[in-house]
Amino acid sequence: MQWNKQDLGQYFTAEEYIDTLLIPLMQVTFKDQKEMEKSAVQQETGMIFVREMEKQFKGRIFLMPAYHYLASEDLSAEVTRLNEWAAKAGERSFKHVFFFSFDPHWKKQERNLEGNLLWMPAIQSGDTQSKETQSIIKNQVAQLTDLIKTYW
Amino acid sequence: MSEKRQQVSRRQFLNYTLTGVGGFMAAGMLAPMVRFAIDPALQASSTGEFKAVEDVENITEEPTRVDWEIDQVDAWYESTVTKTAWVYKDENGDIVALSPICKHLGCMVTWAGNDDYPDQFYCPCHDGRYYKSGENVPNTPPPEGLDYYEYKIEDGTLLLGPTKPRGEA
Ligand code: FES
Repeated sequence: MQWNKQDLGQYFTAEEYIDTLLIPLMQVTFKDQKEMEKSAVQQETGMIFVREMEKQFKGRIFLMPAYHYLASEDLSAEVTRLNEWAAKAGERSFKHVFFFSFDPHWKKQERNLEGNLLWMPAIQSGDTQSKETQSIIKNQVAQLTDLIKTYW
Repeated sequence: MSEKRQQVSRRQFLNYTLTGVGGFMAAGMLAPMVRFAIDPALQASSTGEFKAVEDVENITEEPTRVDWEIDQVDAWYESTVTKTAWVYKDENGDIVALSPICKHLGCMVTWAGNDDYPDQFYCPCHDGRYYKSGENVPNTPPPEGLDYYEYKIEDGTLLLGPTKPRGEA
């Protein structure tokens, strides 16, 4: 399910079945061209990942709008806010919360997050059309969906 | 194998064309999952709803996944959407092309997706199951069988069109 009126309509007819929340964590920076381009590429590739996961598991995963934050070494303030998201989600039918990100700084906060972190090293190539990138993404998405299944 | 190479360049060409018409974002998101099985010659002629997906002689009695792309236009975006079907020949040698979308809440089913049911379609979301025919297995969540794709065969190639629910078959 995605955050749109049609899917929400369906969600409310079958709430008990859609027990998994997926929140993409996207870093944004204003540092310099290189870092900003990197952030943009991660945003684009990251959305491909989460949309593909949602497509596989539409009937059980709810994909939230992406959570954007300013790039930082220390993400503890963001953890507090995300845990509020997770707590609110828990008041609905959501039993599993997954955070998806390419930003390695989340690794340090993993144990403080009230949910499971799906972290992947960022794909370097900016060309999401290339054959290589496509097969890498396809393969990684398959691994992530297998991982999610083990939590169910 | 020179034909294979031609196929790739045609596809790149298409991607660039899409980029040109502003479909860049959507193409970027949806292109990754595609296995191109489209004969370039046919692709040009199948501008309608049917798309060439596979050579009929490659289709066996074992349901096999095929992916292809269609262009979708709504009021605001033109985008490329990846479609998937499970395709096989039944005992009479007739083609069966089933939609992978679970009739419960829309997850993707896979043939033999659960080791306990090697001859059924399986939905990992809530253990929905379907027989090879696509009929839903009673007492699993799906309320009806998988949709069919309408199909055509032209010059030994399978073309798939829109899906239709079982009730209307
Ligand atoms: S979505 Fe397939 S069983 Fe629920």
